[in-house]
Amino acid sequence: MSEEHSTHFGYKTVNESEKAKKVAEVFHSVADNYDLMNDVMSAGLHRGWKRFAVGVSGVNPGDRVLDIAGGSGDLSKLFAKKVGRSGQVILTDINASMLGVGRDRMLDAGLSVPALQCDAEKLPFPDGYFDCVIVAFGLRNMTHKDRALAEMQRVLKVGGRLLVLEFSKVWQPLSKLYDVYSFKLLPLMGKLLAKDAESYQYLAESIRMHPDQDTLKQMMIEAGLSKVDYYNLVAGVVALHKGYKT
Amino acid sequence: MLKVLSTQVLQHLIAQNRWANDLLRPYAGKAVQFHIAPLIATLTVLENGSLAMAGETAQPDATITIPPSLLLRLIAKDDSAKLMIKIEGDAELASTLAKVINHMRWDYERDISQVIGDVPAYKISAIGKHTVNAAIETAENLASMLSEYWQEENPLLAKKRHVEQLIADVDTLRADVERLEKRLHKITLKQPLAPTQTTLFTE
Repeated sequence: MSEEHSTHFGYKTVNESEKAKKVAEVFHSVADNYDLMNDVMSAGLHRGWKRFAVGVSGVNPGDRVLDIAGGSGDLSKLFAKKVGRSGQVILTDINASMLGVGRDRMLDAGLSVPALQCDAEKLPFPDGYFDCVIVAFGLRNMTHKDRALAEMQRVLKVGGRLLVLEFSKVWQPLSKLYDVYSFKLLPLMGKLLAKDAESYQYLAESIRMHPDQDTLKQMMIEAGLSKVDYYNLVAGVVALHKGYKT
Repeated sequence: MLKVLSTQVLQHLIAQNRWANDLLRPYAGKAVQFHIAPLIATLTVLENGSLAMAGETAQPDATITIPPSLLLRLIAKDDSAKLMIKIEGDAELASTLAKVINHMRWDYERDISQVIGDVPAYKISAIGKHTVNAAIETAENLASMLSEYWQEENPLLAKKRHVEQLIADVDTLRADVERLEKRLHKITLKQPLAPTQTTLFTE
């Protein structure tokens, strides 16, 4: 395995072409219990984080919003209400199982949101099409984060916003406690509730391998975004980055 | 978590004061930092004309500094105190935001009505308004009573007209002293001191 073509899958080093397949396996495995596990793992806080992200997006009625790695469609649902009938929200995910869950939930909520299976590194949209692009808890699973960020920047209109909601680096004094939670409690909860300890072990490892707040900010700037700023949520367990296309 | 909650409160207030959206929208993406010692808070204007707390690394486009002593005067609606607020950076942005914050009103009756219904909400808010007004009136009466006592019965505070008279007297005295100094100077120039006197002074 050459260094140039290897990447991280949690703490393991795998071939780039293998990562997408392995991530897909993880999400096929957790799709049915995804919401339940999110609620248990975050004590329901993930709903507040998503609402906050929608709140600071500055989306107006009539805007076009792209929800990348939208999974179960939580954000698409909130955005659909914000943009109204004159706007457009597109839900995308690379994983068919997760997208199926999201699409069904949209329909159950009476929302007609197009659900599209696509790779964030090769978005099938024209340049300058969206007012807002959001990726929540998805960027860390992408093989080439830089390419994905550049694609997100490409599809944004001038003045459009990219929001990245992702696990990040926790405040140092809490790191020991967070490690115990991530590596002991999280896989145990995965085993008991979703009968899948391995996927949740991957979740904990992938969080640790993800760039910290300042590194991600720099990556966004390198992808062509400006005025990049971030919010630490729950002492940095999660961070919301926001950048503008100028 | 404080930022999340503060943002939600701000956005709720802006949603109740829709007139603010049009005022703020031209400043989308800009940030204003408030210094009200010991608190520092940075607000950012969103693209939909709403407000949010700014993130960890936001660079403010304007800064508004309000000393704690001024804050009490502002709360007491002292218009002259507004002139003493220090604004740095984009003054237009800062004054627009200050105007929005100053005129924003919380429609608490509407919020309560969504929980307990219109009629009880109306009654509760009427009782609330009455209580608050009564408390303000009582506080004003008490302040006026104490000020009268300390001015008339047990003088501790100076009356406004007395202070103004003192200021006028000091001004007159200063002018008189200046005039006297000039006269003395002129006299000294016209009649130089005798050599013995000069020697006496220089020693």
